[in-house]
Amino acid sequence: MAPRFRFLGKKRGERRTGSRIVGSVGEAIFFGLLFLLGAIALTALVSAEIINPAASIYRPGFGFWLAVTVLSSSVFIGGAGVILTVLRVGVSAERRSAIVQRAADLDLIQDALPSQKDYPAIPREANLVNSPGVNLAYRLPVFKSSAWKLPAMTVLALVATAFAVALLVISFESWFFGEPEWVLMLFAVPYIICSVWTVNYIVRTVWVNSRIGPTCVEISDLPLRPGHEYAIFLSQGGRISLAGLQMLLVCEEESTYSQGTDIRTETKVVYEEPVFERGSILIEPGIPLEMRESLLIPADAMHSFQSNHNSLRWKLVVAGKPESRPKFVRNFPIVVYPNVNGH
Amino acid sequence: MIEPLISLQFLGSNGIYRPGDELHAEYQIDAVEADELQAVELSVLWFTEGKGDEDLAVHYFERRVPADADEHDLRRLHRFKTILPNSPLSYTGEILKIRWCGRVRIFLRRGKELFFDQPFELRAPADDSNHKGGAA
Repeated sequence: MAPRFRFLGKKRGERRTGSRIVGSVGEAIFFGLLFLLGAIALTALVSAEIINPAASIYRPGFGFWLAVTVLSSSVFIGGAGVILTVLRVGVSAERRSAIVQRAADLDLIQDALPSQKDYPAIPREANLVNSPGVNLAYRLPVFKSSAWKLPAMTVLALVATAFAVALLVISFESWFFGEPEWVLMLFAVPYIICSVWTVNYIVRTVWVNSRIGPTCVEISDLPLRPGHEYAIFLSQGGRISLAGLQMLLVCEEESTYSQGTDIRTETKVVYEEPVFERGSILIEPGIPLEMRESLLIPADAMHSFQSNHNSLRWKLVVAGKPESRPKFVRNFPIVVYPNVNGH
Repeated sequence: MIEPLISLQFLGSNGIYRPGDELHAEYQIDAVEADELQAVELSVLWFTEGKGDEDLAVHYFERRVPADADEHDLRRLHRFKTILPNSPLSYTGEILKIRWCGRVRIFLRRGKELFFDQPFELRAPADDSNHKGGAA
């Protein structure tokens, strides 16, 4: 059995031996420190020039601008490194490669086709039916609604940390020279709080993502029609203890509208009912949680709808609540067709 | 000046249809001189209402000019029919509504236009409740 932690690993092309998580954490710490050191040094350099322009050693010249350039590079490389490291968390090399391959294979003409002729304004189901399941007929594709949150939080953390560090360095300098800038110190407090909160969020989210394995949902038949019942199979891998796990059937309306020069989107959940709920679950590595349930589409359900500015979407939502950690949510879009004569 | 009168009537129906039903209707234009009418357009369409910008799609369309009409008179009663599609069904949600209607638009001399909408509902088979909020 391979040891859980190794100091040395081998690089085999794009693949590496050793723990990916440890590698990612190490990478994030390295780039984070580079960012912090660069931000502190840059702030000290620039603020000293502004606060005490007479100091001969800080007179702007070639050396000064060279130092600014080098330190700015550290801030940029450190920040970009942290963002890229966070973006890569939970995404395998195979998946990245598959995404690139799929993008290269994208048939633009096929994509530009209108909705199905027989069912106008209903989104096509091509991506739903092209993946056969192992236990049931079809495996549903997953859509992570919060995929943007982690990169956005990382950017926010970097910006807040940069501001907090800059304000603290200036404040401490002023305190060191005997003219403390109390207002500036107070001004730094919200940035420090924001920085701590966002870093805490990132650490917790990365922890959850590294513990939760793939979620797979399979369904007995497609397309779905109101009043019909379908078998559902759920498989949840990972290494985590959950306080609760539930699957919801959700319908939401989405409208896009122009307001001045802005384009805004509003989403409203109009139907939400549990398909099943489970309490206290322990998922062990290599032994995924497997459940078979039934899904009933309400008899009076509106069918899925898609037009240029408006849509009505149905989805299955798998939500888990790890003990003392933020919950994870995975969305599986489905398409509901209307009942017509003969169906 | 009196505005032209446009009437559009669905035949043999109370304004509620099912997917695949044949919609029979007739329209007529009054209170206008025949030579004032440049063209008449008839559409059977659905459109959205609510928070979002309006979307519209035409299911059936015909345009008639005086040369297409008996004695070049577009005012006369004109009948048409079309088979309604499977979707989208009429819907009343919270920020989205889907409406169906027949629309007659007339084009007068000097570029003036007028139109008249006659709404109807497209409902799923054996559904008399209308869809509300995803599910009634």
